[in-house]
Amino acid sequence: MTMTPRENFFTAIGHQQPERVLVDMGKHIGSIHKKAYVKLQHYLNDVPMENADKILDRMAQTVVPDEALLQRFGIDFRWLVPNWVQVKERTDVDGYIDMWGVPYRATADQDHYAIDVLCDAPLKTATLKNLDDFNWPDPYDPDQFKGLREQAKNLYENTDYVIGADAIKAGPLMTALQMRGYEQFFMDLIADTEFADALLDKITWTLKAMWTRYMEEVGPYVQLAYVTDDLGSQTSMLISPKVFRNRLKPKMKELHDHIKGLADVKLMMHTDGAVLPVIEDIIEMNVDIINPVQTSVQGMDNTQALKQQFGDRLAFHGAIDVQQLMPNASLDQLRWEVAKRIHDLGRNGGYIIAPCHNIGYDISPQNMVTFFDLVKQFGAYPLALDEVLASNQSYFTNNS
Amino acid sequence: MDYLDNIYEAILDGDMGIVPTNVQSALDAGISVSDILVEGMIAAMEEVGRLFQEGEYFVPEMLLAAHSMKAGISVLQPHLVNSGVEPIGKVVLGSVEGDMHDIGKNLVAMMLEGVGFQIVDLGTDVSAAQFVEAVKEGADILGLSALLTTTLPSMESTIRAIEAAGLREDVKIIVGGAPVTADYAHQIGADGYAKDASQAVKVAKSFIN
Repeated sequence: MTMTPRENFFTAIGHQQPERVLVDMGKHIGSIHKKAYVKLQHYLNDVPMENADKILDRMAQTVVPDEALLQRFGIDFRWLVPNWVQVKERTDVDGYIDMWGVPYRATADQDHYAIDVLCDAPLKTATLKNLDDFNWPDPYDPDQFKGLREQAKNLYENTDYVIGADAIKAGPLMTALQMRGYEQFFMDLIADTEFADALLDKITWTLKAMWTRYMEEVGPYVQLAYVTDDLGSQTSMLISPKVFRNRLKPKMKELHDHIKGLADVKLMMHTDGAVLPVIEDIIEMNVDIINPVQTSVQGMDNTQALKQQFGDRLAFHGAIDVQQLMPNASLDQLRWEVAKRIHDLGRNGGYIIAPCHNIGYDISPQNMVTFFDLVKQFGAYPLALDEVLASNQSYFTNNS
Repeated sequence: MDYLDNIYEAILDGDMGIVPTNVQSALDAGISVSDILVEGMIAAMEEVGRLFQEGEYFVPEMLLAAHSMKAGISVLQPHLVNSGVEPIGKVVLGSVEGDMHDIGKNLVAMMLEGVGFQIVDLGTDVSAAQFVEAVKEGADILGLSALLTTTLPSMESTIRAIEAAGLREDVKIIVGGAPVTADYAHQIGADGYAKDASQAVKVAKSFIN
């Protein structure tokens, strides 16, 4: 008997052995940059791909992957993406202001958009008293989730894929940093906790109200909800575990509890960086799956230890590095890495393999295609990877 | 000595409100500008760097300390001119062309300033030509930052442009940012690599001693 992607998902996330390791690509953190997509299109000329101009995430300039490509790569997930609403186009430069009032501008070559550091952050001068006066995003905007119910219902009734509700592009910490200005909010977290708490409250409330409406539309059809924030940098936590526990954790848990109360979904949380010190907290925050397990940073590289310590309570999504490995690895190194991560994280399910972040145009189409082909080759249970792993072809231990 | 301890402690605590008062008290007590700066403030920022490296301080604590030092410097400023205190070196830095991210670069600038460097911050999306022009005006160290793997090539082309302009021997180049590794730094011909702001201070100081 062959299990469907949806059955495999519930088995794997229930920490039981599925038939295959699940594989993902195509949500808003985890798709392909438009320039890389064009290269891939030329490389895979037998796969009909028409979406090179269909932008999924405006900031990162990634593409909504074509259905034919998802099938070619064997992707188990189909993502519903909230509509991009309440955005104001800028007239002074090529750029926009997002619904939180944060200004972005394009690079000269329109490679991507980034926060415009030449503009003031929208809440730069805000005080506790006038925080409510800000022009907050409207959580009842009918356009935000328009069309998603039909899409979800169709996928649910006519396919076996795992249906995921992609994140509303905001998380309590990141959004607060962007609205207030990074430096000021980092300092507020210690020096003005009353203001920090009020801002985090307001953001969390807004997100909760949006998720209520989101789940009203798609709740009966989705198996997975995705939330995004960032707690770690390349070398450490962005803020101390203590400040995280006092200021952020309660808000994030409140948001996660709310979402899981709205629909029968598993919850996946995104955080980049070196977040090993707070994984226990993340589990306590009602998170079922952590994404992306950034294996290029200290602490997250030891996937064997991660699985051993947390693997019976937390599932993992990602672990295939896009900063060093995918752009630079040889075929042998890529083979070894895919086998290694499946071996370490895939015991008793609990693992969805995926690139850690968006696939940039510094990653060759060969390495992209090879990666997804290797997953097919190595992903069948019972896992038999000892032979591949016998010779150490690790990209990281041979390049550090 | 209590006066200097008070300045040192207030900066470590990131207490922006109290640092200017402590600096004024030290000046009033006749302590030299040089001692206040070097033994009070710079010593505190060096300790902040150490605590960051040890994992006891994080970005918020580092920012509060740097801003506290700035608050203290504003009191000291009028007295600095005649004090004979000179910057320990001049650093030109920026995020390379195509990269508009600046959080890491700003932290590096703040920490370097905190330990006594003069900083010329060119901002983000800085072209090779702009870096060359700034180095021509005099610099001991050039700092290049990138967040994205796809902007790394601009780091290399900037170094090539510095070479082509005949300035390579005049300046030490330090690179850093999320996708940068020590290997990559070596490969593109940089003199040093720093994985964070605290390491940037160490590397920069090693180049001017």
